[in-house]
Amino acid sequence: MPERVYGKNYKINRYMDYKAISALLEKYWEGETSLAEEAELKAFFSGTHADLPEELQEAAPLFQYFGEETQFPAEPEWDMSFLQETPPQQAPARVVRMHPFRNWMKYAAVVLMLAGIGYAFRQHHETKLIAARQEAEDRKAYMEAKKALAMLSRNFNKGTDKMQQLSYFNTAVEKLQGSN
Amino acid sequence: MSLELFLSQVVPVRTKLFRFAYRLLGDEEDAKDITQDALMKVWAMQGKMMELQNLEAWCMRITRNLALDKIKSRKYRIADTLDKASELPALHQRNPHAATERNEVMNKVHAAINALPEKYRNIMQLRDMDGLSYQEIAEALDIDVNEVKVNLHRARKSVREKLQNQQVYGL
Repeated sequence: MPERVYGKNYKINRYMDYKAISALLEKYWEGETSLAEEAELKAFFSGTHADLPEELQEAAPLFQYFGEETQFPAEPEWDMSFLQETPPQQAPARVVRMHPFRNWMKYAAVVLMLAGIGYAFRQHHETKLIAARQEAEDRKAYMEAKKALAMLSRNFNKGTDKMQQLSYFNTAVEKLQGSN
Repeated sequence: MSLELFLSQVVPVRTKLFRFAYRLLGDEEDAKDITQDALMKVWAMQGKMMELQNLEAWCMRITRNLALDKIKSRKYRIADTLDKASELPALHQRNPHAATERNEVMNKVHAAINALPEKYRNIMQLRDMDGLSYQEIAEALDIDVNEVKVNLHRARKSVREKLQNQQVYGL
């Protein structure tokens, strides 16, 4: 936090500062502060302040703790020799091996679909065959009926001829009887 | 190129990684080993370094995973190690009385933070002590950004309540 220049209105400025910091602190407790605002709070609490309001006093130790470096052990010596030992190389592209049956549901869906199409095609073909067979049978029945009727007609005509001859015979007999 | 990248982006975060590992493990030697292993692992995976946008978060995630493996493998009792680390080194000040008082207050804050559940504590430390963004914390801990925000809010609230209950006030 930049150092403030205080003039005659020192108390008023300080009050304004505290008010702004209190507002920032509330945002901090709510977890809504940005990193810059948190840095501002840390900077504020790293200094000493007179007449600190209670809500700021309560947060002071926490922010002072954040600034403490003593909570960690001293950084050890690092062994960076691995940088020379390992030759820099690009990691090979990762080859993801897929098990052939990993996507079994896809295969199952394709098989089911093919089976469905096959069944539908077969059904359609069978319906067509049945219709053709039915038509052939109907035609055959028609031809048979036609043949039977023709035969009947022929025989009927034969009977008519005989009746005609019989009629001539009867007429002749009647004529003879009449003359006698 | 990789060496350059490693020296410019990974080496400067060594301290941060070490501190992160120390917080997770609570033991200086183990933290050193884990950080060393993490650095070597990052170097071994240098092909991936180029592709990453946030190398620091990636390094922290590697450190975290190695530390968690260590905890699992040794059936670490984190509570024990934290108890061990719960006392802060004494601060050297001119006024011995003021120094003692300050140490006491700092120890109380330290205890309040260490008493938090692990996920809250890690998030609060990464944010408030290491200054990581929400996104960086999410990447380091492999969690959602919203989870980071919610847990950070809860962590701060809990610490605040503890400090209020103990009446730990400004120095």
